[in-house]
Amino acid sequence: MKTPNKSRFLLAGLTASALLFASCGGGGSSSIVDSGNTEAPATDGSSAPTAAPTTVATPLASLPPCDTTALDSVTETIDITFWHGMNGDLEDALTALTAEYNASQTKVNVSLENQGGYEQTLDKYLQSSQDSRPEMVQAPEYAVQVMGDTDSNVPVGACIESAAYDTSDFLPKALNQYFTEGVQWSMPFNVSDPVLYYNKKVFEAAGLDPNKPPTNMAEVRTMSQAIVDSGAAAFGLSLDTGADSGGGWFLEQWFAKLGELYSDNDNGRLAPSTKVNFDSQVGIDLLTDLQSLVNDGLAYNVGDNASGQDALLKLADPESAAAMTISTSAALGTVLTTVQGGLIPGITTDDIGVGPMPAPGDADAPGAIVGGASLWIVNHDDPAKAAAVWDFISFLITAESQSTWAAATGYVPVRSSALEVGAIAEKYTTDPRFKVAYDQLLQAADSPASLGAILGPQREIRTLSARAIATVLQGGDVAAALTDAATQANALLSAYIAANQ
Amino acid sequence: MAIKTRRLRDIPLAFAMLGPSLLVLLTFVLYPLGKAVWLGQQTCDVQGKNCKSVGWGQYTNVIKSDQFQHALWVTVKFALITVPIGLALGVGLAVLADKQLRGMRFFRTIFSSTIATSVAVASLMWLFLLQPSIGVLANLGWLHDIFPVIKEPGLLKDSGTALWSVGISSIWANLGFTFILVTAGLQSVPKEMHESAYVDGAGGWMRFTNITLPLISPTLLFTTVVLTSRAFQAYGEMDLLTNGGPIPQDSTTTVTYLIYGSSSIIKNNDGLQAAVAVLLFVILLALSALQFRGFGKRVHYGS
Repeated sequence: MKTPNKSRFLLAGLTASALLFASCGGGGSSSIVDSGNTEAPATDGSSAPTAAPTTVATPLASLPPCDTTALDSVTETIDITFWHGMNGDLEDALTALTAEYNASQTKVNVSLENQGGYEQTLDKYLQSSQDSRPEMVQAPEYAVQVMGDTDSNVPVGACIESAAYDTSDFLPKALNQYFTEGVQWSMPFNVSDPVLYYNKKVFEAAGLDPNKPPTNMAEVRTMSQAIVDSGAAAFGLSLDTGADSGGGWFLEQWFAKLGELYSDNDNGRLAPSTKVNFDSQVGIDLLTDLQSLVNDGLAYNVGDNASGQDALLKLADPESAAAMTISTSAALGTVLTTVQGGLIPGITTDDIGVGPMPAPGDADAPGAIVGGASLWIVNHDDPAKAAAVWDFISFLITAESQSTWAAATGYVPVRSSALEVGAIAEKYTTDPRFKVAYDQLLQAADSPASLGAILGPQREIRTLSARAIATVLQGGDVAAALTDAATQANALLSAYIAANQ
Repeated sequence: MAIKTRRLRDIPLAFAMLGPSLLVLLTFVLYPLGKAVWLGQQTCDVQGKNCKSVGWGQYTNVIKSDQFQHALWVTVKFALITVPIGLALGVGLAVLADKQLRGMRFFRTIFSSTIATSVAVASLMWLFLLQPSIGVLANLGWLHDIFPVIKEPGLLKDSGTALWSVGISSIWANLGFTFILVTAGLQSVPKEMHESAYVDGAGGWMRFTNITLPLISPTLLFTTVVLTSRAFQAYGEMDLLTNGGPIPQDSTTTVTYLIYGSSSIIKNNDGLQAAVAVLLFVILLALSALQFRGFGKRVHYGS
């Protein structure tokens, strides 16, 4: 009994020491993302491919078809399962809309299944077999390439074509976010973008016009200086380095505002991107600007907590508050409720101002790119099912539904006709703060650059740029941080292409 | 000879009886384990399909990578923070509560209460306490006069204090578990030994070190092994309190966070995730073996 035990332990001990030794004595600098490339062909990580891939635009014809008339001949109710990631008030609003749809007709019955959040929905979808996938899924904006590469969907564009559906009043930016390689993959549903939140009381105390928020970073600097000098608040701007906000998403926004491509192959919309551009002079200038705001004591970096609340909570700091921050428009409802609850003494909901996201430098660029998520039809080789999902989707995007949805949640309606009906018509008139996010999306979507990038490992690349921004805001060298992040991002991109081609 | 044939005859019966548990073990432990080891030398597409072998070198590359080495070092530090302190506090509280006094049940309930608290709840509580802008601790004037880091940038946001802060929340959350184990161990210590030692003039500390500790050493060994493997597998705390950050120092990116974490750069790479997970398994196995070997000799299992 004892002897075999002894040798087993000995073996285990030896293995452990070998491992520890190997890991400590490894030396040199190597990234784990390179290791996927060891023996894989055509992924020479060190010299990323510069030539554009030969892949041409995927024609709609080669993708699963959509026959929207397939629902006409159906006699029994079709059950549709919809995986989504909406929580709290958002889930309540979605449940109400779905109940309204189910009650309005007898052919389709939709069951909602909450997966906990965007990440969880996407992860579960990717890991599931096609049979165990639902008929319909909500996927976040950063997952377009990944979802397309699963070859598991009926492109919404096929249904639009089949139904001769009129999209002329849709916000081009919202629709085009989910359009790559010639295919309209999915339907925008819940749309948000970053806006500037600011404390009007502080603006007044600093002698600034509380109804004129800064529109670019140059104005952020002068206004912050006035705020700090007057002692109205400890800091002008609160910055964060979260991947979903200041560390990743905002960087993509700033590139789009300037009309600069974030990645090659037309931001990944012509063919999958092989390299990112955030280490260009544009990126260097942007980050140098942010760094100097922090160095000069005008901005405060709250760090990387991904809940995204820390940047906003800095406005409520009783001792060293900031006057402004950039955060998603989807937070506006929660911000107002929290302020109403008395989070900041002496501040009412009317004292919270909302302005467009400041553009880089002294640029005049009020546009934004689309955040949030879209609706995907899952292919089950059953025309009736695809038609049923399309029927539900077309209900969710009617002007009435979008008006109800936007008013209940704070998301931006995906079509302009929604502004003329129902609850949102009233809300946008009575509280123009909610309309700021909408107006930002009205700006032209005339180039791939202004639509933002679509990348395979987009989430991971946001994590990498977030690390670079965190390094910079802590005083690190801008060019070195960006080059390092871009090198790793490019390795991720080539590994992704190699694994998914 | 007769015994041998009888033994041979028993083999089918033995397998029939072992069958059910063997089947469960094979299906749910051995097969996934083997699959994970195999996956560790592959690279897959986003759906975890079309996996291609890239060679066992993937394991060596993971071991050599900065990320893995850093995560392993963070994990070791996390274990070194949480295990000794957690064990000492657990033993201390258990010894304090091991007295026949009025109201002791009340304290026992309090001391063990954290076992009923999930990691998520515990972490959120600590998050609210430590949030630098509006958190309770951060806005106690006298406290952040002494420790400015509580306010700027915040305990969870400073690369020097983040791991300790997560560690403290983890120690707190595991304390109930340790307390209950040690209390159970203490109750098996015969009172007569304490009484006779007391009669012989042994003081409290002497009795603790010479009677209590040796007699509860099996419990202590078990608790140490379990706490260590919990520390090596801790995930919820890092996910909820720090997201493996602060970045770019990755002060709380442990090996488990490197595998699953939402801001891990390998989060969609099944092959690399499997490789790291297998390495963690090997390390834990070896560590437990070393602990049993190293401390095992000093453990008194009674006679």
